[in-house]
Amino acid sequence: MTRRAALATAAAAAVPVPPLARHAAAFTPPAGERPLFGARVWSLPNGMRVAFAPSRRVPVVMQYLFYGAGGGEDPQGISGVAHYMEHMMFKGSRNVPSGALSQRVAREGGNDNAFTSRDVTAYYQQVEASRLSLIMDMEADRFAFPLFPADQMESERQVVIEERRQRTDTNPRALFREEFEAALWGRQHWHGRPIIGWPEEIRAIRHADLLAFHERWYAPANAVLVIAGDAEEGALRRLVEEHYGGVDARPAPTRDRAPPPAAPPQRKVTTRSPAITEATYLRSWVAPSLTWGDTDHAWALEVLAHLVGSGQGSLLHEALIETGLATSANASFDADNVGAGEFGISAIARRGTAPDRLEAATDAVIARLLQTGAEPARVARSIRQITAGALLSLDGIGAAPRLIGNALASGLPIETIEFWPARIRAVTAEQVTATARAVLSAPRDCVGWLLPETA
Amino acid sequence: MTGFSLPIQVIEVPAGNIWLVEDHSVPVVSLSWSWRGGAAAEPAGQEGATSLMAAMLGEGAGDLPARAFTDAIRDDAINLSFEAQRDGFEGNLRALSDALPRALRLARSAMVEPRFDNDAFERVRARALAGARQSLEQPRGQASRAFWAGAFPTHSAGRPTGGTTDSIAALTIPLMREAHDRQLRSNGMLIGVAGAIDAAGIRAIIPELFAGLPNGAPAEGPELPAFVHFPRRIVPMPFPQSTILFGQPGLAVSDPDWEAAQIMLRILGGGGFSSRLMQAIRVERGLTYGVSAGLDVLFGQAIISGGLATENGKVAEALDVIRDEWRKMSETGPTEEERADAIAYLTGSQALQFTDSRRIASTLLALQRNNRPLDWLSARPERLNAITNARLAALAKRMLKPDELAVVVAGQPTGL
Repeated sequence: MTRRAALATAAAAAVPVPPLARHAAAFTPPAGERPLFGARVWSLPNGMRVAFAPSRRVPVVMQYLFYGAGGGEDPQGISGVAHYMEHMMFKGSRNVPSGALSQRVAREGGNDNAFTSRDVTAYYQQVEASRLSLIMDMEADRFAFPLFPADQMESERQVVIEERRQRTDTNPRALFREEFEAALWGRQHWHGRPIIGWPEEIRAIRHADLLAFHERWYAPANAVLVIAGDAEEGALRRLVEEHYGGVDARPAPTRDRAPPPAAPPQRKVTTRSPAITEATYLRSWVAPSLTWGDTDHAWALEVLAHLVGSGQGSLLHEALIETGLATSANASFDADNVGAGEFGISAIARRGTAPDRLEAATDAVIARLLQTGAEPARVARSIRQITAGALLSLDGIGAAPRLIGNALASGLPIETIEFWPARIRAVTAEQVTATARAVLSAPRDCVGWLLPETA
Repeated sequence: MTGFSLPIQVIEVPAGNIWLVEDHSVPVVSLSWSWRGGAAAEPAGQEGATSLMAAMLGEGAGDLPARAFTDAIRDDAINLSFEAQRDGFEGNLRALSDALPRALRLARSAMVEPRFDNDAFERVRARALAGARQSLEQPRGQASRAFWAGAFPTHSAGRPTGGTTDSIAALTIPLMREAHDRQLRSNGMLIGVAGAIDAAGIRAIIPELFAGLPNGAPAEGPELPAFVHFPRRIVPMPFPQSTILFGQPGLAVSDPDWEAAQIMLRILGGGGFSSRLMQAIRVERGLTYGVSAGLDVLFGQAIISGGLATENGKVAEALDVIRDEWRKMSETGPTEEERADAIAYLTGSQALQFTDSRRIASTLLALQRNNRPLDWLSARPERLNAITNARLAALAKRMLKPDELAVVVAGQPTGL
């Protein structure tokens, strides 16, 4: 699951999703600018970091435990380990039998789940405020002493394979997206592999692979605990120390992410599918992020994505939707990747539109943008619309822990979350133009077409 | 034991009673309102008209064409949406406090003076057509289509709310205006509000929000007929995994056993890992990523429906397990421990419904739609705890029909 997808589906889906990326470099917020969540951050002696984002509308708390390892850390040739690991973390720990964590949380009126992205793995629960100690107790137990029972490995592998079939193998568009990412990055590159894993590699994962992954990555120094909701800081600090302070310190791992290939393995991929009724166009460029390449481009790329493909009023909407060539057109960019990022556009062709025409119209949009630069009025409008709803992420308690935990576990400072609106507002039209020229004119892109069999 | 609820205020205005949860911890206000009607009131051949009309309400109103209207909404991060349902029509609005006056003007304009411009209509209809085709690209969409058509072959509930490619293609701007006139009326609406606003504020804004809607209540469609038990249907699709949907008649929202049914079905097929179906099908056998079954409410009636996806070769086994679990529950009911756990979850999780303003507004709307009294949530733990295991067993025996489960399979199942 991608991070954006995880954010969209996690916890009631009622929270707006602001652009995630905030800057890694030092940044002084403008005078008077208040941090969005006002979170407190501290560390335990064993290296675990803790963040607390208070919210007192109702007596409810959320606990998120993030590990700074995701699908991007899967060993070569066995993609899917991080995700399989996430499943097996529910199979019991020294003091909690297999499956009991979820059942106890439910008995207390709470909900729990977990997700794996390319950069992080996170486990979370939401409960009435007085039950915080109980969920900390169980989460800390599986942090320190997970069992990974070998005799439950095969039935859970079948569950993972069914999950993959449900998400990907029965979804022609998701299958094509996998093929496309592999073309752009390489089938064995960390960015070109599916997080859930290639089917044959999921089947090859051994018990020892899970143990080795856990040993290397699930260390306190690589973990970030985020508590959000109705708690008192002093009492919370004591609770955290009591439950997590005893987890043995281990050396902090470092991520070993390969750079992108000098040139994409394939620049064009075309697939025909009998299951598809609407032709889909994809184009992506390898791009900087807040942690890779020219990181100054990262914020401008967020603005560029809005300006190019955010529905009504964006360049692609004018060129593809209002002209009747397509029924949808979007641009996307996540700046907070660990390692190289990806700037992508996508469109679904209207019936009867020749693929060449849609592609030519899209190319013309990009060419004009590169030639004449980003219009200052459009940049201003994008900045306003990206930032206008920042405070809406306080409506609900799920956004703060997801954004903060993801940033900290990805090696970004908390200011990237607390002051993201100021970072977006600081982007100029000149920067957007320079960034577009640097990223979109490089031959590090791939074009994909998924076509109906009859087209 | 009192169930968690933020205090609910009732405010009487000419449009109807408004339920409000006032909370000033975040500078945001959410409103949800709904009418009866929806897709059920559409004349034959116009399926999807109400859905398409709902989409058109965001595509320009008053003197603002689509682009200007969208910019006005997005410049202030206003969330405004309209949704046609099988049996109703819902509006949702959320805005930061300082943008609320502008948000209300835009929402009113969208409802009272939508433009239905030709270029916007062509664009939105093309998107709806593509969406209708795409919804059938995957097993889930195909199975759902076949399931509802089988259960309600003669009623709008058996057809997709958004319409079919044929019906959408035949929709026109005059039909949009007719759908609008059928649905958006000044009477018959229910309203829930949550956030940084007080009763006086509500009294001031609500007349403004609905000023200018034509008098009268929306048109309503025919009543829901009985659920038809149909023989197993298979929709062939070229995938390695099949999607299974299953269901049977349930009970009315007003049934005295409504909450007993919620407890019993939570035990049988509720969310998460605690249900019997999840334990038997995922945890013990590894047959699926997820399985659930529960109540699906339409027209004041609930049907029991559920679903899962499994490898083509395992469909028969999964269906056997579902029927076995259905039968076991029907014959012997839940254990005392299961009863206690389910009630602990249902009562303990009430606070979780009050974490964000949209969810609160929507909870308030649902309570009114189901004709619940104001103290429904605070008195709920007491009611639930009074439901005995004998009553749950009697209900399961009366309601669950393992041999009459309607089943649809989309995929290439083998061994059936």
